[in-house]
Amino acid sequence: MALRYIDRQLNIADYALSGFKRRVARNVVVVFIFALVIFMVASFSLTTTSLKQAAGRLLETVPDITVQKMSAGRQVSLTEDAVDKLENIFGIRSVRPRVWGYYFDENNGANYTVIGHPKLSEKSPLPGLGIDYLPEMQLDTVAENAVIGRGVRQSLELGSRRTFSLFRPDLTLKSFITAGAFGADTSMVTDDLIIMDLQAARDLFGLAPAEITDLLVDVANPLEIDNIADKIGERLQGVRVVTRERIAKTYRVAFGWRSGFGLACLFGAMAAFAIFAWDKATGLTPAQQREVAILKVVGWQTEDVITLRFWESIIISASALGLGYLGAWMHLLFFDGVLFRPVLLGWSVLKPPVSLIPVFSIGDLLIIFSLSVLPYLAATVIPAWHSAAIRPDSVI
Amino acid sequence: MRLSLRFLLFLAVCISAQLGLIGAANQRLAASSEAERRIVRSIEILGLSDFCIATDARYVRHLAVSDRLSPFMDHPGSIEHFPTGSFWIPER
Repeated sequence: MALRYIDRQLNIADYALSGFKRRVARNVVVVFIFALVIFMVASFSLTTTSLKQAAGRLLETVPDITVQKMSAGRQVSLTEDAVDKLENIFGIRSVRPRVWGYYFDENNGANYTVIGHPKLSEKSPLPGLGIDYLPEMQLDTVAENAVIGRGVRQSLELGSRRTFSLFRPDLTLKSFITAGAFGADTSMVTDDLIIMDLQAARDLFGLAPAEITDLLVDVANPLEIDNIADKIGERLQGVRVVTRERIAKTYRVAFGWRSGFGLACLFGAMAAFAIFAWDKATGLTPAQQREVAILKVVGWQTEDVITLRFWESIIISASALGLGYLGAWMHLLFFDGVLFRPVLLGWSVLKPPVSLIPVFSIGDLLIIFSLSVLPYLAATVIPAWHSAAIRPDSVI
Repeated sequence: MRLSLRFLLFLAVCISAQLGLIGAANQRLAASSEAERRIVRSIEILGLSDFCIATDARYVRHLAVSDRLSPFMDHPGSIEHFPTGSFWIPER
């Protein structure tokens, strides 16, 4: 019984496929466009899932609490005495003052992130970060040591040179010597970094000796982070306290369909499906009506014609899903999501080599299935019934 | 070979290729574990909070230590105009 049923279904599928062969150009175009829509939706979905997963794996060691002072809605400098106000809060393991900021390179329009680090004045100061330290070098002029990211090195066009200069706010030049460079494998977080000594960073930004940008607070018990964040908010007036959980939450929601680009992908897909549905719903051509009439004359029942239409929809949507989803994986895995790079990088002059590894998620596949195949099948139900209900004597 | 079997064969090839790609991605992920360890350490030592993906807008470069109003702070009536802003959703 089951074998007979399967054989009957395969026969109808055979007939549907032979029909496609007769209208091969039209059906290839339909499958191609359908696959293209699925490719776009799947590429976006894979990119966002990949970024979310990377954030979950990599951002686990972000500071427990970051404290920034706010004034008129903007971040302003703190002074080092803020450290003393926090150090006697029970549960805080350490408070690290930090100086950091952005440096806009007017020569090429690039933005660098400058971080002052107290350990950079030591010898071999930051082990385990994949920094290639260069041999010490003596210069006639005073130059501060700096460790730079791969992108900064390229942007400054250093080549074999190791010295470079940056402008202070009063337009005097401050010289640096490249003590080391971050490896390309950490570019996802270090590409635009210039790490220098804390005092050198203050000097570059024109900050007073006791001024700092923010405080990094390390908490002994992770369960106490929220309580300690509240206490910090009470002790220091007008500060913004960013906890590790808030950073994780930011990155959990930062990528998704609600973004402008996600909505553009989604609306594009919906518009394409609307056109498909309109094409199907506008009825059959006289040739297709005659075909259905002949099938009914030779003994096909209404149910058989509906099954035929169902198979036609399955063949088109399954082929498109297979090709589109496969294409999206190849797009990310072998071409680093090259089509999305202009949106991801935007007007960035310094372009980090974002290499995203797609992650398979059954949830994503189901979303793509329900956004593509299900609407197509649903859009073909009523036209299938209409075509199956044709009376042979009204057509032939 | 009947056409329906050819179609099923085509689907089987697609599924096999897909499984191959998933395997290749997992292999690449495993091979990047040393680099990931360095990234995690860099984040810890330097107190980093964000990925370096786009470097044009400050609020996209450092999304986690920014807020929903940052894109509109350049001047009164300022609108968000960086293309990268269309890819990211600020935290509620």
